[in-house]
Amino acid sequence: MTAITPTIPPAHGPASAQPGKYLTFVLSSQVYGVPVLAVREIIRLCPITPVANMPPHVRGVINLRGRVIPVVDLRVQFGLFVGPDHDRTCIVVAQVAATAGGVRPYAVVVDGVEEVVTLAVADIAPPPDFGGAVDTRFITGLARRDVGVSTLIDLEAVAAADGPSEKSAPSSLSP
Amino acid sequence: MPPPPEPASDAVRSLLRRIGLELAFLDATAPAAAGTLAELLPSLDETFAGASAPADLVAAVATARSWLALPSADFASRLGQWHPWMEEAVTAWERSGVLPDWPADLPPLSAQTSPPPPAAGSPVTTGRTAPARELPTQDVTVLPAGWEPELMRLFCAEAAELLQDIEQGVLVLETAPTDAETLATVFRAFHTLKGNAAVMKLVVLQRLTHELESLLDAARRGSRVLDRDAIDAVLSGADIVAQYVAEANSQLDGRETGRTIPLALPAVIDRVHAILSSPAAAAAPLAPPPGTVPLPATTPRASVAVLPPPASTPTPVNTGPDSGSRLSPPEPSAAAAPVPAAPVPAAPARPAALSTGSVRVDTTRLDGLLDLVGELVIAQSMVVQAAASGDEHLTRSLAQLRGITTDLQRTAMAMRMVPIRGAFQKMGRLVRDVAVQLGKEIRLIVEGEETELDRTVIEEISDPLVHMVRNAADHAIEPPDVREAAGKPRTGTITLRAFHQGGFVIVQVSDDGRGLDPARIRAKAVERGIVPADAVLDTRDTLELIFAPGFSTAEQISDLSGRGVGLDVVQRNVERIRGKVEVESAPGAGTMFTIFMPLTLAIIEGLVVSVGGQRFVIPTLAVRESFRPKAEALATVHGRGELVAVRGQRLPMMRLGQHLGIEGAQADPTRGIVVVLEAGNDRRCILVDELVGKQEVVIKPLGEMFTGRTPFAGAAILGDGRVGLILDTIPLVRLSRRSHTETAA
Repeated sequence: MTAITPTIPPAHGPASAQPGKYLTFVLSSQVYGVPVLAVREIIRLCPITPVANMPPHVRGVINLRGRVIPVVDLRVQFGLFVGPDHDRTCIVVAQVAATAGGVRPYAVVVDGVEEVVTLAVADIAPPPDFGGAVDTRFITGLARRDVGVSTLIDLEAVAAADGPSEKSAPSSLSP
Repeated sequence: MPPPPEPASDAVRSLLRRIGLELAFLDATAPAAAGTLAELLPSLDETFAGASAPADLVAAVATARSWLALPSADFASRLGQWHPWMEEAVTAWERSGVLPDWPADLPPLSAQTSPPPPAAGSPVTTGRTAPARELPTQDVTVLPAGWEPELMRLFCAEAAELLQDIEQGVLVLETAPTDAETLATVFRAFHTLKGNAAVMKLVVLQRLTHELESLLDAARRGSRVLDRDAIDAVLSGADIVAQYVAEANSQLDGRETGRTIPLALPAVIDRVHAILSSPAAAAAPLAPPPGTVPLPATTPRASVAVLPPPASTPTPVNTGPDSGSRLSPPEPSAAAAPVPAAPVPAAPARPAALSTGSVRVDTTRLDGLLDLVGELVIAQSMVVQAAASGDEHLTRSLAQLRGITTDLQRTAMAMRMVPIRGAFQKMGRLVRDVAVQLGKEIRLIVEGEETELDRTVIEEISDPLVHMVRNAADHAIEPPDVREAAGKPRTGTITLRAFHQGGFVIVQVSDDGRGLDPARIRAKAVERGIVPADAVLDTRDTLELIFAPGFSTAEQISDLSGRGVGLDVVQRNVERIRGKVEVESAPGAGTMFTIFMPLTLAIIEGLVVSVGGQRFVIPTLAVRESFRPKAEALATVHGRGELVAVRGQRLPMMRLGQHLGIEGAQADPTRGIVVVLEAGNDRRCILVDELVGKQEVVIKPLGEMFTGRTPFAGAAILGDGRVGLILDTIPLVRLSRRSHTETAA
């Protein structure tokens, strides 16, 4: 395998994955990874207050030490199987760019957190073309690891798709 | 060195003042525009020659003329230093003192420099033909070269405060022109303003405030009584400063940066000069202007005006008002009369409660602190709940903790609280202006202006208040003759009152004018299609129709007791801060508007209800009543949905569970609770499963993901730590604007 040189991503896709530390977690038996820098904390599943009139993947809001934070179910958003909550189910609290500048909290429900891995340039492959079967808008790359392949996703792009106004993909491009 | 003869001294003073004025408008990049200056300097020369002035003064004028004849790049800044020196030097000459040292960074005085002949052919006189003082307005650049946004903002903020002091003070002076304390307050305000303007290098403002300061100084020393003319001059001067500050603020916000605005500066400055040079009209105390008795001194509440200006707060630049700029004009004493050294006004004596000093804090920090404290209070109550079992020691410690957090919360809230005074103060001027304009006699009584509330609330309430007071002065109060004919005192009274009541701040605007006529309001509302002709309305409902959008338009205001214009806007503004407006009126006797406002926008009192196991918060202010309906009170009307009879009226009922798509909600209304919501004149019932209780909640924003997509105004952390959503009641009620007038069959 040849080393992947950073390329300019397609205009509508997220930035391609950069080497570094990733938090991996399970969504319906598949492993996903997000840059660890985007993650604020991981908390146990707590009561989620549903909010009317929101799309089905928005589970609602939780109280995180006095802050009201939206919780999204990525399994619903990605069209994966959604089983009942279990004792490994937890909430990953990330932060993403706010439209008005700065950051805003953004939490996702996951079927369990795996580990933090360090990915080198050589570990990352560009996002595959699934032929439209899977929404590749949020995928930044694939990570090959001893235990299998994990899909690297861009939470910024995921969150932006939920924004009050439908925005095109974020421009978090780094050279 | 002999002092100058009196007339020469006056002539020199007057010339210097005009030169100062010209300097203020001097455009450094266009030396040709200095034509008027080139005309004034020779006159100064002639006057000096006739009065055997000291050689250095003559030389200084010659030097200045040489700069003008061959303008160098910095001739404007040179003249800027030259002018104060001249003023000082002339003062010294008048007192037979020693002339001040020539500024070291100016080119040395050269008596040899031959002044160019003041001929018409001189290149410098060809620029401008009309002297500035004859122009009604002058285009002014508001942001000086090299301005710093931070400092400029500070300047504007402080200027706004000072302007308020000035305006309040001047209104008091109108009735009590010799009130020493008020004179001192207004004088100090102008003095500080001038100092700040000098630091910011806002030469135009500096000139203007200097002139006004001189006028007030004369009044303060008793050499001149402020008559109507002088007061008008001061007010129009303050208006110019306000205009300037408003424009600067707008440009600071990035709107049309660099734009120049026309200001009536020369007119005002000339007016002040005219007043100052007219023979001192000492001691003739002026009659109050026809029509107004603003803020009578007998009303103890009205004494705000004599509160000292916020002089103890740091001026924008901590070098003090007058330092830091060589452009500072001399102390006002020089301009007024040759009296030995006017002392810089001493720090005002102020009530002890106010003397503790203050710090300017960025409001976002304050908001952040308040948020944190709100969270602390909730976290604390969660700990208390979790630890409810047993351990006496823990319980005691927790009680102590609760005491501390409660105090902390109160203190943090208090930091955001400001007296409503600021919003009330502009009303004095407003009422005065309307009264003078319409030839009415109106007295404004202000009570409770020390009542404190959240500054955000005050900002929101300010415009509605102006609206209501203007309406009252404009339309409700009758002309004096009409009042007399109706057996009322000629002078109408408008009362502004603020007070606390049950967790709310209440502001009342009342007048003893015409009052509202329910029959005519009803007729108008029917005519405009706001209510059906057969609607059953009690008096309160009828009066509240004046808040309906489209009830009144500008041309109707005078036929219908002059009310209604913009009142829907008033109501909307008040509702935005989760308040409400009520109106009471008796025809012929007057009208009273009562605004209920939350103490703060951060916390509301909420009714917690549950639907299908979920809990929601309804702001208490929007709840009129709640009850368990009897079967016979319910009805279903084809095409109208469910209705509930409430006090003889059938109101539409909405099942909250259905509306929000919640499963497991109580299906049988007679086993649930009907909550009657109101927003202005509209009412609507919602059906919930049960009432959980009342709770004060800290309002949390839901975040951008939910903005505009949900029927909620925000979220709150409930006692058990879960998030409860706060219903946005106004759109909920307004869903059925027309149907509430459905008559009970």
